[in-house]
Amino acid sequence: MTMSLAIDTSTSRTSVGIVKDGQILWSGFRDGATEHGPALPALVQEAVSKFNVEEVVVGMGPGPFTGLRVGIAFAQSFALARNIQLRGVCSLDAIAAQVQESDFIITVDARRKEVYWAQYIHGVRVGEPAVSFPADVTGAPIFADLYPDLAALVNLSGNITEPIYLRRPDAVATADRK
Amino acid sequence: MNEPLVLGIETSCDETAVGIVRGRTLLANVISSSVEEHARFGGVVPEIASRAHLEAMQPTIQKAIKDAGVKLTDLDAIAVTAGPGLVGALLVGVGSAAGLAIGLDKPIYAVNHLAAHISVDYLTHTEPIDPTIALLVSGGHSSLLQIDDITSSITKLGQTIDDAAGEAFDKIARIMKLGFPGGPAIDASARLGNVDAINFPRGLTTSNDWNTRPFDFSFSGLKTAVARYLESVPDYVQADVAASFQEAIVDVLLLKSLVACKESGIDSLVIAGGVAANSRLRALAELRCAKANVRLRIPTPGLCTDNGAMVASLGALLVAAGRSPSPVAFDADSSMPVATISLA
Repeated sequence: MTMSLAIDTSTSRTSVGIVKDGQILWSGFRDGATEHGPALPALVQEAVSKFNVEEVVVGMGPGPFTGLRVGIAFAQSFALARNIQLRGVCSLDAIAAQVQESDFIITVDARRKEVYWAQYIHGVRVGEPAVSFPADVTGAPIFADLYPDLAALVNLSGNITEPIYLRRPDAVATADRK
Repeated sequence: MNEPLVLGIETSCDETAVGIVRGRTLLANVISSSVEEHARFGGVVPEIASRAHLEAMQPTIQKAIKDAGVKLTDLDAIAVTAGPGLVGALLVGVGSAAGLAIGLDKPIYAVNHLAAHISVDYLTHTEPIDPTIALLVSGGHSSLLQIDDITSSITKLGQTIDDAAGEAFDKIARIMKLGFPGGPAIDASARLGNVDAINFPRGLTTSNDWNTRPFDFSFSGLKTAVARYLESVPDYVQADVAASFQEAIVDVLLLKSLVACKESGIDSLVIAGGVAANSRLRALAELRCAKANVRLRIPTPGLCTDNGAMVASLGALLVAAGRSPSPVAFDADSSMPVATISLA
């Protein structure tokens, strides 16, 4: 089986792991909402000094934009440098995989008093992730304080190529200014 | 290593840029700009710039490699702008550069955007330029610097206390409805105008200013003066306003640069940054430097605005000088001081 480098920077935690055959052979993380820039290279350097990776799997969000982009930019360039495959997956799905219940909702902090969220029935995501105020996210037990599971991240199928932003950039056109 | 092969990444503002140099030889300089996406907002929107950087980064790296005719594995080092700039934009470049460096197991140089702007001149001139006075003028910066050694010693003599020179161009162009970015628009309009038509103020040039802050700049008073003029003279001649406004900026920039040369005893001036592409600044600098016996160097217009070649150039100079690379784990620094040439 493939030796995978798993990277996720969609939450306040920078997570890096080496996964093979569904097993986490090495993992490390650092917490801090503005730490992704320095944390990610340090973690990956340690990981790849021990293992010869053959693919990169990266969480494409949703998550706070600046940190999210650090992970994606790094993963893309690392894959290019090593000439290995890159896959992007939904970070919320990698969080959901560790929940034991059947029907539930995953939320992560989206700042501005909102959350990114997705609903799961029988453990499978229903619809696309969204961003809402917490009061508007109801209908199933909510799991709010989890981080992506790196083995689950690698196990997810598919390949998302664009970051999951869910919000437009804040900007007002000159012509529309009051 | 005299002729290191270095790839440089620049994302401090709205240009996603990758350059490759071998020593002082430019091999590739690829720029993808999101400027058109910002035009309708009248300025750079950080989140739009950051998204565009991520989208453009991989194609830009791959085109640079192709243009240079090298393989990624041939590279001796990666260089990247660590600051100053927009932090979200910088981090896309920093993340990409770190991914390359660790993936290739090559050293990384986290360099200063301002020092890189000056170092690009080394690509167009073979002999060393140090020591020199440097005038760095762009949309985000206006500084006078003394460069004793581009790889180890840069001293800030002064800087703008309010708007950057390029910012003043943008703001006046917006008021005159000439579009964004304002520099090229005003430059073009000014070619048909009279530089002496209106006597706009030269910031920080009173005798008290010369005593207390001789090398600082101020452009906000000029901006207000132009805005007032436009209000009070509804049938103004656009070309004359553009030419007179541009002259006020260019005049004071060169005045202070040449005083810095004289006072430091350094008879060399480098002008760098996006505003160095301004045709009036280039022409007047040549005249005045010739008169003052100061050797003038200005990079070609294409290398004045933000680019990756300048980052690669500074990286190559650092490698050639035997400077230590940056640690693998470093953070972007939105307000990186110019004295910090690369992160240690």
